[in-house]
Amino acid sequence: MAHSQSPPALLWQIQNARNHAEQIEFLRQLKDGVIGDVRAKEKWVNHGILQFLVHLLQQKPTAQSPSGLGSKEAYAPISQTTDLPDDDRVRLLALQLIASFAKGGPLFLTPLNAVEAVPVILTYICPHKNPAQLVLTSLRALSDMTEAASLSSRTSIEDTAALAKALFVPRYIESLCAILDAESASGIVQEQKCLVANLISRLCKEPRYQDMLADAGVLDALATLLASFVVARGEVLPFTLDTLEREGLAAVIPQPAPRGLSLALILEAISVLIADSRFRTGLLLCSPAIMAVLTSSEIGERNSQIYRTWELLKKSGLIHGRLVDRSALDYLLPAVPVTTQRFFLSQHHPLFPSTGRSLETPPKHGRATTRFTTEDREWPVGGGDTEEPESPLIPWLIHLMRSGTNDHEKVMAASVLASLFKGGFMDPEREFSLSVLVVPVLCRLLKYYEKERGKSLDAIFVDSETATAWVILERTPAVLARLIADSVFLQQVTRDSGALKLACKLLKDSYEPTAIPSPPRPWTPNPEERQDTGDDKFWTCQLGPPGQVPLCAHKIRMRESSLKLITSLATFKEEFRKEIVEQDILPSVAESLSETPQKPTPPKEKPKTEENGTVSMHPAGHSPYGHNPTSVLIAACHAVRTLARSVSNLRTVLDDNCVAMPIFKLLKHVDIDVKIAACSVICNLLTESSPMRDPLIKAGVIGVLCLYARSDNAGLRLNALWALKHLVHMTDRDTKKKCLEELGPGWLIQLICDDTEDEALHAQIMGERRPLTDADEDEVMDTDDGYAEATDDVWQWQAIHRKGPGFDSTRMRVADGMLRALREREFDEVRKAREADLAIQEQGLDFIRNLIAIPQQPAQAEMIDYIFSELGQDRLFDILASKLRVKILRPFARRQPSSSGTPDGGAGSGASGRNVSIDSRVLYPQSKIIVAVIYFLTHIAAGVPRHRQLVIAQEELLKLLAGHFNNKDVDVRRSLCHLLKNLVWCDGTEDRRGRDLRVFELEKLGFLQKLEGLERNDAELDVRERAKEAASSIKGEACEGPQVPHGRVDY
Amino acid sequence: MDLHRRVQSQTSSTSTATPSKHAFETRVADVKSPKSDINALILDYLMMEGYPKAAEKFQKEANLKPRQEDPTINARQQIQHAIHVGDIQKAISDLNELDPGILDSDPHLHFSLLRLQLIELIRNARGYDPSAAINFAQEKLAPRAASNEQFLRELEKTMALLIFPADKLQPDLAALLHSDLRRNTAAQVNEVVLQRHTERREAAIRQLVRMRAWAEASCRSKKGNLPDRIELGLNGDDNGNDPMVTT
Repeated sequence: MAHSQSPPALLWQIQNARNHAEQIEFLRQLKDGVIGDVRAKEKWVNHGILQFLVHLLQQKPTAQSPSGLGSKEAYAPISQTTDLPDDDRVRLLALQLIASFAKGGPLFLTPLNAVEAVPVILTYICPHKNPAQLVLTSLRALSDMTEAASLSSRTSIEDTAALAKALFVPRYIESLCAILDAESASGIVQEQKCLVANLISRLCKEPRYQDMLADAGVLDALATLLASFVVARGEVLPFTLDTLEREGLAAVIPQPAPRGLSLALILEAISVLIADSRFRTGLLLCSPAIMAVLTSSEIGERNSQIYRTWELLKKSGLIHGRLVDRSALDYLLPAVPVTTQRFFLSQHHPLFPSTGRSLETPPKHGRATTRFTTEDREWPVGGGDTEEPESPLIPWLIHLMRSGTNDHEKVMAASVLASLFKGGFMDPEREFSLSVLVVPVLCRLLKYYEKERGKSLDAIFVDSETATAWVILERTPAVLARLIADSVFLQQVTRDSGALKLACKLLKDSYEPTAIPSPPRPWTPNPEERQDTGDDKFWTCQLGPPGQVPLCAHKIRMRESSLKLITSLATFKEEFRKEIVEQDILPSVAESLSETPQKPTPPKEKPKTEENGTVSMHPAGHSPYGHNPTSVLIAACHAVRTLARSVSNLRTVLDDNCVAMPIFKLLKHVDIDVKIAACSVICNLLTESSPMRDPLIKAGVIGVLCLYARSDNAGLRLNALWALKHLVHMTDRDTKKKCLEELGPGWLIQLICDDTEDEALHAQIMGERRPLTDADEDEVMDTDDGYAEATDDVWQWQAIHRKGPGFDSTRMRVADGMLRALREREFDEVRKAREADLAIQEQGLDFIRNLIAIPQQPAQAEMIDYIFSELGQDRLFDILASKLRVKILRPFARRQPSSSGTPDGGAGSGASGRNVSIDSRVLYPQSKIIVAVIYFLTHIAAGVPRHRQLVIAQEELLKLLAGHFNNKDVDVRRSLCHLLKNLVWCDGTEDRRGRDLRVFELEKLGFLQKLEGLERNDAELDVRERAKEAASSIKGEACEGPQVPHGRVDY
Repeated sequence: MDLHRRVQSQTSSTSTATPSKHAFETRVADVKSPKSDINALILDYLMMEGYPKAAEKFQKEANLKPRQEDPTINARQQIQHAIHVGDIQKAISDLNELDPGILDSDPHLHFSLLRLQLIELIRNARGYDPSAAINFAQEKLAPRAASNEQFLRELEKTMALLIFPADKLQPDLAALLHSDLRRNTAAQVNEVVLQRHTERREAAIRQLVRMRAWAEASCRSKKGNLPDRIELGLNGDDNGNDPMVTT
């Protein structure tokens, strides 16, 4: 019998087979021997079989060989491998064997990587050059390796990233695209498509890959598949065909989706690809197939019957909203009873205070938990009050969520909806539909699968039903978290549906110890055989670490997902934070901050030894609590960050559970994203009211933060400076001085003065261009090189580009324009650099202000003097003045049209897309910076008379300030009132003369007049009141009252 | 066709004409199922259960449009046949040829097949040297059984066959040697392959039969107006022109 042959003998036979037929026979024997038998696989790997298999695969015929007629053979039934030529059958068997080894788990990942199996497998995924079976099997092998990588416990992220790096290169992306585009209805092609979608959703986590795939047309291909499901479900509007024919779009209506294609997988791949990018979300909506299959409203409007129904419903109060925005697909959804618009206004609607500082969140911490690429909503795309109608894809997805029978599909549809909602592609009224039609469905799924879980759990084997249930349970909280992150209203609905308690329960459950965390060694009748590992001792024959069981990996993903939901729920409402904390989840959150978690224990039972941070490792290296990857650490950081927005949490549970030290440890983590996340928590832990401030200072947080304030990474620099700003607020003099010294006055000046990111970007672009600029400019323009580069930079919409002409309908042209604009914004590096610089400068100025914000004299005056001596008084005032002026960057460089508005202004291509119009730019003063400057001056003016005099002496600065009395920003006008009030403050009798002088100066500059103007005409009541106060102070009327100089306290 | 047999046995005893028609029956008689639907159902059954030749003939006779060809149908038939005749080695090999991922990701199915193979080895070793069977059990089954209680029990039970004489077996041991085990395992393999490739587990008609039973039971439990006994109507011309209307 075949399996009785010993590995070396069979290997010799395979290697020395006389012909293909014989080799095929031996390889089949080998295959039957190893499939499903981990021990046999181990033995064979030890004998070096992998190297030989890779060798077989490398002997590839050239591309012109007769086997390169992939598309025709796609119709060949799977079972009939005999119709392949013999050499292809050998390769098919080799690929099948590699796939089978990969199925053995993480154990085999090391040897597979050692023989460099992935690059060889990848040469077989092109459907034009390889027979369909080979493509299918190589995709299976890749997907098995991805699965194995997700189970390798410590190196999971690296292993996955390595696979992504190998797969997402232009050559193979093209192959992926070709597979998705194939029009065959055969089962084998459908399975290929499913595997590709699965690979994308598991590997494509980095924005640069997402952009590459989107640009290469993969997103369009996926959108076309999505459209084919709309067709298959019979949900194409019957009366659209005429319109489409006129537009030339009828041709892109896809065939109905054939059997075997999974909508859930397609939706998941789409959702992973668009992620948090407005541009890519737009690309989905404008995909020709989607535009053709789901046409928007106006047709429905003309239909008088529908219109009348709508009016009737509206009259009866069942419907609210304009019919114009509704597509015919909306009639598939139940009418949502929005009674009045006040409903929204009473709530914290995200569209109104979009960058809002609401009272319950500490100002500026109100950063949303998840960020969209371009946050501003000024750009009129869908939604809002613009004419652009909402895409009918939205009601279709909601309809799918309500009518579908496949729960995985529902979650993924919700995930796409979350991107559409967060990207601002929905009507504002849609938020209410989401709250009644989408959120409850997700909450119900969560409840159902939470209950279903925990049936018989085999240690190694997970059947496909359980696997799907796990996938749904893992994805749902994260999708929900994304959907509700920016909306208090949706958060309320989610909580009311019971998801808050459920999220906490899921987190706690994920810390139930796993009985067998790592796959057990299979039993063997003769244990001594272990030592006999074949003759080869090469490292290519050595097995890797065994990894973790699927259950363990599932629990870790549950941690990440449930932490995300908790974070979202705790974003705005203090009430919810309290409720979350009451669920006793803090011990679990605290353990999630550690890479090697232990049993979560409430603070009372915790041994005090943990303080010094020695964590005892589990003897086997595999703790029953698993190993937290960076994604969990980051999620836990964000959860702590939002929970720490509550002062009472800071003082009680967060302190009791000792989160400070683990976070401090994460601050020094190797991963930059973990550092940034930890830094953002530290911001909240260093506030004045936090009991963790002193322990952190003692642990040396100042040194670390000052170091990070010099980081190359703008995000880290910003968060570090932010944390320092909090640290120096209301602290003792020595700490303040220490901070300034550690940070270095020179560096601080540089931070608030320079446009660091902008410069860096400029330097980088100049560096890239150097070879060109060396030559004469005109010549360069003429050379082919320059031309090629220029055309490279122009982005092309692959969907239109590939499908050729006939796409010049108005709708498509509008869509093209919109996409270009979205893309330009998203890849506008200059704008991003500018925003980063502004944020850092603002924090820097606030840092200095907090240094001098001391309510007592003479400590305050002393601190001001100290700052002046350290930073240089004149230099500081010069910088402040420069912040109020229009600034011209690189005035002598060539001016180019600014990036906005001109489509050919040079939007970059791909991930490296850079806007090139950086040479010379005019920067107008930004209101946030102006406010920071004014409040800084206000604080100086709150000091001793000498300092007030000093401010008055800055004539130029004051002149510049005078120009901002009619600034659009209300904060600027308000802060000016504060400043003036402080400036004319009279400090006892000896200051009277000084005060008179100051009043004279101010009146000379026309400040009084301007104040009176504010008092009379300002739109804001608050500003009018303050202006009145300040004006009367200047006039010396009411200044004798028991007033104190205004010293604004800033968090 | 076991369905057919089952249906037959249920209805064989009732052939007398009903004196007065129940309201339900008149309603049933009013429903006219299109013949094409019924034919499609039959074809589906033949395809899913793995009767490629019968399906082909039926398709021609009933003048049906050729369905999207199920590429696995021949292979499924081959594998089931191999199991029915006891050539498990071939069945496993064919299954691996059809889709190498199946046994790798379904240890339960693999164990069932290997155990069946062990039973065949034991059956063949009757009265001769059982070392081949013992070696096989040690090499292939024991490592799996060591980590799984259920496997262990089944393996122990199977090994007991070596000890007791074939004619004096307990009923549960005797069942192992019965051909039903082969048939069940073959059906199990068929289901797994079907599910992997068509996302369906069984022929549509099986679901319809179950649905009918469920509907009848739930209607009776709610005291709906039903005749005491509902005919399947397979055996006669009593219902008019279409004999298979009620399934």
